[in-house]
Amino acid sequence: MVLVLALGDLHIPHRAPDLPEKFKSMLVPGKIQHIICTGNLCIKEVHDYLKTICPDLHITRGEYDEETRYPETKTLTIGQFKLGLGHGHQVIPWGDLDSLAMMQRQLDVDILVTGHTHQFTAYKHEGGVVINPGSATGAYSSITYDVNPSFVLMDIDGLRVVVYVYELIDGEVKVDKIDFKKTTTTGH
Amino acid sequence: MAVEIRLSRTNRIYRPSEHLQGQIIVNSRSSISHYGISLLLNGSVNLQVRGGSAGVIESVYGVIKPISIVNRSIEVRPSGKLPSGTTEIPFSVILRQPDENLGKFYETFHGTDINIQYLVTVGISRGYLHKSLSATIEFIVESDTADFLERPLSSEMVIFYITQDTQRHPLLPELKSGGFRVTGKMATLCSLSDPITGELTVEASAVPISSIDIHLCRVESVILGERIITETSVIQTTQIADGDVCRNIALPIYAILPRLLTCPTVFAGPFSIEFKVYTVITFQSELSKVHPKTDPRTPRLWLAIESLPLELLRCRSDD
Amino acid sequence: MEFRPRDYSAEAKLFLLHRDRAETDPLSVPSSQQANIADDQIVKYDDPLRASDDDATVSGVYLEDTENSSAIGVPSESAFPPAERDWSSFTRFMMQRFSVSKLVSVTSVSNAILKVGKTYERSSTDKHLEELEDPQNITENEVKVVTRQDYINRLREFKDDLVRAWNASDRVTSLKISVKVAKLLKDTSVLQFYPTLFVLVTEILDMLGNFVWDRIRSKTEFTEDGARFCSLPEHFKIKDICQNAKETCYNWFCKVGAIQELLPRIYLELALLPCWQFLDDQPVVVIQRLVMMARGIADPLASAYCRLYLTHCAQKFPSCDIGLLVSCVNDTNAQLKHFIPAKETKTGSSTDSKVLLVGVIEPTIEYIVKCIFKNVSQRQLDGTLVALGLGRNMENSQCVSIVLHYILKELPVEVLSSKAMEFLHLIDRSNDSSFRQFLNYRLHGLRLCERRPPVDIVDAVMHNVLEVIAQNESLDEYLTVIDAYLDIVLQNHLDSCVKTILDAISQRTCNRGIDENGLLSLQSIMGKLLSHYQHLEDVFALSHFLEILDLLVGRPKGIIIISILKMATRSSYIRDPATVELLFEISQALNDSFDFANMKDDENQPAHLLSRFVQLVDFGKERERHLAFLVECRGAFGTIDEVKDTLVHSSNGLAVKALKDAKKHGNFVKSCIAFSEVTLPSISTHIKQFNLYLETAEVALLGGLISHSGELIDSAISCLHNVDMKEGSRAAADADLLLSSIQKLCSLLVMLPGNPDHGSAYFPKILVSFVNDIPWMTPKMRTRILCAILSLLATCSQNRLPYHADNGLFWGSNNVFFGDLAYLHELVSLSELIVENLVNAIEQESSGAARGILALEVCDSFLSSFTLKDETYAICSKLMETAKLCMSDSNKYLQSTFQRLEEKSQSLVKC
Repeated sequence: MVLVLALGDLHIPHRAPDLPEKFKSMLVPGKIQHIICTGNLCIKEVHDYLKTICPDLHITRGEYDEETRYPETKTLTIGQFKLGLGHGHQVIPWGDLDSLAMMQRQLDVDILVTGHTHQFTAYKHEGGVVINPGSATGAYSSITYDVNPSFVLMDIDGLRVVVYVYELIDGEVKVDKIDFKKTTTTGH
Repeated sequence: MAVEIRLSRTNRIYRPSEHLQGQIIVNSRSSISHYGISLLLNGSVNLQVRGGSAGVIESVYGVIKPISIVNRSIEVRPSGKLPSGTTEIPFSVILRQPDENLGKFYETFHGTDINIQYLVTVGISRGYLHKSLSATIEFIVESDTADFLERPLSSEMVIFYITQDTQRHPLLPELKSGGFRVTGKMATLCSLSDPITGELTVEASAVPISSIDIHLCRVESVILGERIITETSVIQTTQIADGDVCRNIALPIYAILPRLLTCPTVFAGPFSIEFKVYTVITFQSELSKVHPKTDPRTPRLWLAIESLPLELLRCRSDD
Repeated sequence: MEFRPRDYSAEAKLFLLHRDRAETDPLSVPSSQQANIADDQIVKYDDPLRASDDDATVSGVYLEDTENSSAIGVPSESAFPPAERDWSSFTRFMMQRFSVSKLVSVTSVSNAILKVGKTYERSSTDKHLEELEDPQNITENEVKVVTRQDYINRLREFKDDLVRAWNASDRVTSLKISVKVAKLLKDTSVLQFYPTLFVLVTEILDMLGNFVWDRIRSKTEFTEDGARFCSLPEHFKIKDICQNAKETCYNWFCKVGAIQELLPRIYLELALLPCWQFLDDQPVVVIQRLVMMARGIADPLASAYCRLYLTHCAQKFPSCDIGLLVSCVNDTNAQLKHFIPAKETKTGSSTDSKVLLVGVIEPTIEYIVKCIFKNVSQRQLDGTLVALGLGRNMENSQCVSIVLHYILKELPVEVLSSKAMEFLHLIDRSNDSSFRQFLNYRLHGLRLCERRPPVDIVDAVMHNVLEVIAQNESLDEYLTVIDAYLDIVLQNHLDSCVKTILDAISQRTCNRGIDENGLLSLQSIMGKLLSHYQHLEDVFALSHFLEILDLLVGRPKGIIIISILKMATRSSYIRDPATVELLFEISQALNDSFDFANMKDDENQPAHLLSRFVQLVDFGKERERHLAFLVECRGAFGTIDEVKDTLVHSSNGLAVKALKDAKKHGNFVKSCIAFSEVTLPSISTHIKQFNLYLETAEVALLGGLISHSGELIDSAISCLHNVDMKEGSRAAADADLLLSSIQKLCSLLVMLPGNPDHGSAYFPKILVSFVNDIPWMTPKMRTRILCAILSLLATCSQNRLPYHADNGLFWGSNNVFFGDLAYLHELVSLSELIVENLVNAIEQESSGAARGILALEVCDSFLSSFTLKDETYAICSKLMETAKLCMSDSNKYLQSTFQRLEEKSQSLVKC
């Protein structure tokens, strides 16, 4: 059992001063084995903070990231799953399933995690799973300023993944879960 | 073909009541016939007077007859044959025979005018046709501790003080006017196995001090007819202050007595051996630099001198 | 060609993964168990997050780390006993501490060094050692000069000679060389070179000492023919020693005792000191005598180093007597008192040379004092203090200030704090030229801070310190002392004291400048005040604080301002208007004192802090005021790129906040956008500028300002024309950044499909011409931008757009142009042009592998954008051929794209 925290689009400090206190109190060090972050942190202090939660941190670059050396996309293998990571502002149109599927094929991954739309979504498409963790701070997006803070925690266990969605709605953390199994054996 | 004597003690020190022990070692490629192997023990006081302080009768030089302490021959082996190779012949000879009533066994001493020496010689007589073989070695005699008192009490200190007024020779004017005062104490009865101890304090000095030295001197006196000829020589100098030391701080006097150059103080009929300690304070002076070094006891304008007699004793040592 | 129709919302519904409310989740910690978080090991949960401590993958990493660190942490010198190690590191430090000129001037005392030839006549062992004395030992004032290296080389030769003589069983020569070498220490005219000389000479003497020790020891253990007959225990008694060994040992002491001169005799005796253990069970008496003998060396430098060697040698004994070391310190103290004049009688140059001399003596005092307090047991402590004159009747004791300094430094802190006042008085009395008095006050203060003394003592001490130091005219010294005591003052909340200090500083500085050292102390004082208080408001409220801040100049000022800004930016917002104003003023001062242009990005902390400050200012509902503040900031910090960046973000954020909160916002949002628009052109990094144009355009769209948005995008695209990609590694990375931003622009344009003034496909058209006009455009970049535009066109052709900047309404926006045939025709014809360009662009790519991937991407893009017809199928098949030529068949992307094309072509056949 491996816990993978997926989050992004924090836009600290430009659009939000910090993560919501309720989220921070949940994200204590020592619980999470990997963090994947889609980008737009935007400052180094956030990077350092995430490192304290878990030193195994993977980040891709958003357009406002102070650190421009983050890669455009990144893949990593956790257990039986190959994960792909990207910010998503390059996807046309934003959040489009066809375009995301193309990216998934290019990266050859089971789960693709992207951000930018600041809306949590999770799709199963062409045999792969596409997840957007939303904005962890509820920052305004290119499309809307009505955003609930959210992030995702993936519990990867064998061929099974439970995706927990944490959303802050009206000051309360709501947790949903999505359960799926890897069916196709892509052979890696 | 060689013969040598090897003594049982590496330091070669023996007491009169002890046996002189060792081996005669003969090394020969062939066997040797001999007419007996004997040892000759010889101890004597040799006196001589050189010009020096005697100064008057140069003809007396070397004339004084040595005083014999012991002169004894002991047969170690009767005549016979020694095999080829190395032969070791052990011997053991008592130094002072209980019934013997010769002179006192003075301690070995090598002085300027007085020389007290003990020798042992082996002789292998080989008849007229062959040269006899012999070897001589010096051994050192230290008195029997039984002859003397217990260790003297070190608390018996002589207190001295040195000021411009205690000096009988002329001093630098600034020294005379400015004055100085150095006090000290020293044990004047001293065991030969112990160092000379004491302390010294500079209480005041108008002229900066250059050095304070302790000179150990021996005084050898020889009676020559009606005269007593005395020779004093420095045997060891120990600096205890280098430079203008702090006032009113006690400086230790500590000097180990040099071996062979010292012996118990002796007052024998024809000669005597005594010791003295000179404390010499050298003051800083330009004058001292132009004068070559001389005997430190020579009175100089920039020196202050104090002498104390020192009686040396052979005491029971630790072992 | 024909665009493929899409129904975004239906697709989304179709593929959406079903979500349930989670009853438990990995991050939830039941409230009743919250208190037990620390006891992971004891309380076991089923909760997956709780078990992470046992997780092998994680703990494995930590394990590895600790192993590595322990491997590094093992000191390589651990084989040596600690005292030896201390000594060798101390001597090494001492040799480095005194920088010596290349030439060493020596007097004739050192003539052993000056002699060129080195023939030592052999002499039989039973000859008296009088000949050890150099007959030419006449003190002359003539000064000769040797090079440092020659001197050191000569000493090395002596060392080699000694080893050679010893190995040849020539003990007398060994001793003679040692005496000769020890005598060199008489010559203190070498001054700065003396410590080095000391180290080299004592190395030789230590070596002789070890030789003799080993020889005597072997005499106790081996017979003359080398057979071992006994083994000496570690802590042996003299009864274990045979007569022969004792004899040899005594003989060595006799020989050493016959050395006439005091200094070499002491050094040689010290070198052989451990050998006393063969003769005496209580060798401490010997050391006592040597301590006293060292008093006879009048030269303060020579005697100080002699005591240093004595301390070193005394520590070779299993139990080193502290009393001896105390005597050494007291003797040094007495000697320096005799030698160093009181402050009042100082006479220029002679005092200077004495200060120089004290500097050379200093390490000896440091070492001995350190040894005393390092080894002293609690039981011995009182006695030791009494012996040092620091017992009950301290008011009568006197101490030379340099000695006092090291006592203060090494003294156990509890002694110091229990006698804080007594030591203060002692410092007051010790006012000589050997050490600056104010530095002793400083040390006193620093030591007191180590352990908080009771508040009443601090009060009394501070009362006294302030009184004493008030008489000190030097501002620099005043500040240094105050700086040292400030910590305890603050710890004990002596607010009146703080006030007195600040008043005094303000008063002292009002009419005169402040020198460099003073600035540093003042900087430290300010820094301590800052770190003491929690809130910036409290610091600003201190009397004269801002006035004193103004006194600072240059770098110290910058550092303090940076600290203030750091403190300010620690909180998550800055709301107090007065604080904002003060910080703004301070920031301006920082801005004026730093040359931001010439700083590298990584080091540009001030710029970073300034922009943090701007970010954190929060006027709440007073948005107009906030915007006015941003305007002010632009005026003040307009030269700093990072701040301008922040200003645009902030004003955009301000606009969005206004949108969120109230309906009536129109003009304010416009003002914000206008502010951003005016600020943007001066941002020097084009990519940043471009991204910020896009953000501002987005915000304008959110605010319904469509035409503003269009203008901003116009500006953004024209800013692209200014981008000049230079060659080099950075260029490729920058090109990637730019590419992704242009792709983003295409997605943004979905919400801004046409400009009635310029025609419906205005922006896509100018982007196509941009792609074709720019000379530095690589085939790869051109291909990808064209694909992006193609995707944009395909999206724009749909009935319902995927999103619209319509207060967050996501899907289902009607496309206003849908059904307009002219519009659709324009899109199609533009896309045909793009297809043509794309096919050409791929051909231009020189790298085979890259060409293959590009061909696949383009093919994929065609399949997504167009309904597959014969015409498109032909193009796609051709692209697949290109890709196959360039890539290996096993490539996953090749396979999946090929599969996709085949699937789509099935439907083609069916049609």
